[in-house]
Amino acid sequence: MQDPRLRLLVTVVLSLAAFASTAGAVAALVWWLLATPRTKVLPRPGVLLSLIAMIAATALVSAWGGGPGLSYFVRMTVVLLLAAWAYAETEEGEMLAVAVWALGNRIGFEIGLIAEMGIGGLAVIRQDIEHVRIAMALKGIRPGIRSIVPLAVTLIVTEIRRSEEIARLLAVRGYTLGGRISPRFRTGSKDVLASLSAVILGFLSCLSLRDVFILLG
Amino acid sequence: MRVELADLVFSQDSFTLRGSGTFDEGVHLVSGPVGSGKSTLALLLAGLLRPERGAVRRHGVLTTQLLLQFPEHHITSPTIAGEAASWGLVPEDALALAELSARADDDPFHLSRGELKRLTLACALLRDPDLLLLDEPFSSLDCTAKRRACRMLEKRDAGITVVFSHERAVLPRVDAIWEMEEGVLAARGSVPDAIPSWQHAPPYLRCALEQGARPMNIRLSDAREALCRIRG
Repeated sequence: MQDPRLRLLVTVVLSLAAFASTAGAVAALVWWLLATPRTKVLPRPGVLLSLIAMIAATALVSAWGGGPGLSYFVRMTVVLLLAAWAYAETEEGEMLAVAVWALGNRIGFEIGLIAEMGIGGLAVIRQDIEHVRIAMALKGIRPGIRSIVPLAVTLIVTEIRRSEEIARLLAVRGYTLGGRISPRFRTGSKDVLASLSAVILGFLSCLSLRDVFILLG
Repeated sequence: MRVELADLVFSQDSFTLRGSGTFDEGVHLVSGPVGSGKSTLALLLAGLLRPERGAVRRHGVLTTQLLLQFPEHHITSPTIAGEAASWGLVPEDALALAELSARADDDPFHLSRGELKRLTLACALLRDPDLLLLDEPFSSLDCTAKRRACRMLEKRDAGITVVFSHERAVLPRVDAIWEMEEGVLAARGSVPDAIPSWQHAPPYLRCALEQGARPMNIRLSDAREALCRIRG
C-alpha cells in the first residue's frame, strides 16, 4: 500500500476491530491474508516466534485464571501481524508527512518527528541487540537469566544516551518547535479498494452476527 | 597451527567477497581501503558469518578472539571493571594494561572511543587466543597509543594474529601481507619479499622503495634503517 495515510487508517481500524472481538480478529486476519504480501512482511522467525511465545504465555495465564485465553491469543496475534505489515511497509519520512498533513506544521510536525524517531529507534535497538549477541558470543557468555539484567541495563542506557544526543543535536541546529514540509502522497486504486474493504470489515465486526444479517438482508 | 581459506565466497546484497590462502603462525596484515571487505573477512574467519561457498578450515586452532572495529559493540556490562570481567579476565590486570585502573567503577560509555579501544584491545590480548583477529585495532587511537598497541602485538610470540587495517602511518612488525581490493583477497606473501608488490603500502615505504632501499619490515623505523643502509 503506497499511501501512508490509508495504511495508518487501515492499521488503526483493523487493530481496534481485532482487539475488540474474536470475530473482528478473524475479519482482520482475512484482510491481512488477501491484501498484504503476508509472510514477506513478517520479521525473522526467531523474533516472530518469541513475540508469539510472549502472547501465548499471557494467554495461558489468562486461561488458567478462567479468562478468555484462546480469544486473547487469537486477537493479539492478529494485532501483531497487522503491526508487522505496517512496520515493514513504512518508509522513512512517512509518519512525519502524515502527521503534518493531518495536524499542520506545528503540532503535526512535533508528533510526526517523535513518531519518526520512535520508528527509527526500533531499527537501532534491533542492531544494538545484534551487537550484544555477537559480543556475548565472542566473550563466550551464554544467554541466560543471569546475563539478561546487565544486558537490558546496557541497552536501556544506550537508548537514553542516544536520545540525549539527538535532543542536543536538534537544539544545536536551532530546532525549537514545528517545521515546514509539504507532504505529497501517491494513492493507487488498489489502496482505496483495500482501505474500503478494511473499513467495512472493521465496521461489520463491531456489530453482532444477527445485526450483520439484518444489514445484508 | 593454521587457518585455510578454501575458495571462499560470501555475498551480501551487491557485495561479494572472494578469497583463498593460508594464514600460518605469526602476524598477518590485511590492508585495503575502507569498504573493501576487511571487516566481513574478519567475521568470516571468526565463524560469525557463514560462507556461501568454500570454507574456513582451522587446523590446531582451539581458541579464537575477534576484536570488533567499533569498541562500543563489545560492551555487555555497566562498569569498566565488570566489562573486563565479562571477558573472563582479572579486571585489575586488564585495567592496568589499558591504563584505566582509576576508572574501574565508571560506566564504559563514559570512556572516549580511544580509551574504550585500549580497554577492548587489552582484554583481547590478555585472553591470548590461538587465533587473534583485530579489526581496525588502531582506529581512534592517538600516535602514542598506536605505537603502544603495536609493541603489545609484537610481544605476542605464539598463535596466529591477523590485523585488518587501513592504517598507513603506525604499523607493527608483521610476517605476511595480504590486500583486500573490492572484495577480493590477494596474498602478497612473506615480509620483506612482499613489500615491493604491496599496492596499499604507506607513503614512507613507497618513498624508501623509490630510492632503492629494501626495508626488512613495514614500520617507519624499518624504512629509515633501509635508507640509512643505502646512504652509508
